[in-house]
Amino acid sequence: MMYRTKLKSFLFLSVFLIALFGCKTRQKTDEGRKIAIVVSTLNNPWFVFLADRAAAKAKELGYESKIFDSQNNTALESDHFENAIASGFDAILFNPTDADGSVVNVNKARAAEVPVFCMDREVNTTDGATSQILSDSYSGCVSIARYFVDVMHKKGKYVEILGLVGDNNTWMRSKGFHSVVDYYPNLKMVAQQSADFDRNKAMEVLESMLQAHPDIDAVFCGNDAMAMGAYQALVASGKADKIKVFGFDGAQDVVESIQNQKILATGMQYPEVMAYTAAQFADEYFKGRREFPKKMPVAVELVNQKNVGHYGAYGKQD
Amino acid sequence: MKKKIIKLTLFILAFGIVGYNSVYIKKLDEVKAASKGFDASDFARKFWQNKLRPALGKASDTEQLLTQLQQQKEKTFKEYGHSLGMGNIKYFLSKGKGVVQEVSENNVSIQVGPDTVRIATEYVFGNAVRDASGQINLSEFSNTMDLNNVSAELNKIIRSEVLPAFRKQVKKGDTVEFAGAIELNQKFPDMHSVEVMPIALRVVK
Repeated sequence: MMYRTKLKSFLFLSVFLIALFGCKTRQKTDEGRKIAIVVSTLNNPWFVFLADRAAAKAKELGYESKIFDSQNNTALESDHFENAIASGFDAILFNPTDADGSVVNVNKARAAEVPVFCMDREVNTTDGATSQILSDSYSGCVSIARYFVDVMHKKGKYVEILGLVGDNNTWMRSKGFHSVVDYYPNLKMVAQQSADFDRNKAMEVLESMLQAHPDIDAVFCGNDAMAMGAYQALVASGKADKIKVFGFDGAQDVVESIQNQKILATGMQYPEVMAYTAAQFADEYFKGRREFPKKMPVAVELVNQKNVGHYGAYGKQD
Repeated sequence: MKKKIIKLTLFILAFGIVGYNSVYIKKLDEVKAASKGFDASDFARKFWQNKLRPALGKASDTEQLLTQLQQQKEKTFKEYGHSLGMGNIKYFLSKGKGVVQEVSENNVSIQVGPDTVRIATEYVFGNAVRDASGQINLSEFSNTMDLNNVSAELNKIIRSEVLPAFRKQVKKGDTVEFAGAIELNQKFPDMHSVEVMPIALRVVK
C-alpha cells in the first residue's frame, strides 16, 4: 500500500515536472511569432510611413504585427511595452520618443528577453537595444549646411527651429549643421528655438521670431513638418520670396515644395530602408543570429532644386 | 579596565578599516585620463598617420577609376566604394596627377585625362576621408557622435596641414599630384562634378 502511494506520488510529480519543463522550453515556430511596432507618434506622416513599412516587411516575412502609437508620451510608450511583453510579442521594432526617457522601456524588454530594434531615433544605451538602425542625421546636416553656406554666399542672418529637445536627432542635426556653418563668422544665427517637430508650433515660433528679427535671410528647420510651418509663416508675412527655408526628412510636401521652388533643400531620409532592416534583423534574431551592429547609420542625401528630379517622398527614387 | 582597552582597540580597528576603505587616493592625471572618454583628436591623428597615409599607396588611379565608373558602374562601386553604414553614398580612395585648369574661391579644377576633377580647398567637411579607405570598423564605436567627431578631426588636419601651403603655391597651368577621397551617390553619380577631399597634395612644376 505504502509502495503504491509512493509510486503514484512519483508519477504525479514526474508528469508535473515534464509539463512544467516542456512549457518553459517550448520553442515557438516562426509562424506563430508576433512583432510589436512601437512608434513615437502617428501624428506625423513620416512616422506613419515608417510604421506601415515595418508592418509590411514583417508580414512579408510571415509574422503577425501590431502598431502602437506612443503619441510622443514616454508614459504611454511604457504602457505599450508592458502590453507587448505581457501579450507575448517576440520582438519590438521601436521608434523611441525620448533618447533618455525610453531607456527604461528598452531595458524592460531586454529583461523579458524580447529583442528591441530601434528605427530612426536612438536610445542612450549601448546594451539595451539589440541593434539601432539610425538615419545619419549629423552627416545629412553637414551636407545641408555646406549647401546653405554656398547659397548664402557665406554671409547673412538666419534662425534655427529645433525639434524635440529630448530627442538625440534634434541635436545631431543641429550639431551637424553648426559643424559647418560656424566656420563662417559672417553667417549669424540671431535666434534658436524649439518647435517640437510640429508644423503649427513652427509657424507660431517663426512668426514671433520675425517680429524680433524682421531682417533674416534664412531659416534652418530640424524637420520638414517645421519647414512647412515656417514657410506658411513666411507666406503670411509676405516674405516667402526673400527668406530661404531648409528642412530635413524628405517628406512629400517638402519634396513638392522644392520642385515648386518654395523651399530650398532637405535631407532625404530612408524610412523604408530602416523599417525593412529592423524587421529583417528581427527575423534573423528568431533564426538564431545574435551578433548585430549596435548602431547602423543610414546615409541621408541632400535634395535641392538641382537634383530634386531624382527623388520622391520618403526616399522613393527614379 | 581590560574590557575598556579591548573595546577601544576594536573601535579603532573598525574605524580604521571603514576609513581605509572609504578613501581612495589616485593621481590626478589618471583620474582625468579615465574620465576623458573617447579622444577623437588622438584617434584621428593615429588613424591619419598609421592607416590613412599608408593606404594611399594602394589608392585607385583617378583616371582609371572615373573611366571604370562610367563603363561598369555597379562593379566599380562594389569593388572600390566604401562606407560605414547603409545607403547610396559611397567613398573612394584615389590618387592622380593633372594640370590645373582653374583656381577658384572654393576649389582647384584639374584636368585628369579626359575628365576634370575639383580639389576641395574650402568646403572640407563630411565623412569622405574617414570612410574612403574602409579601415574603420563600425562595431568599435558604440557612440555615433564619436564617429562624427573623428570625421571633424580628420578634416581639421586637412585644413591645417594639407591645404595652406598648397593654396599659397598653386596656380593655373601647374601640374599637381593629389591623393584623397571622392564621394559619389551610387544611384545618381554626378560624374561632371567629381570632388576630391585632399589627403596629400603636391605641386610638381
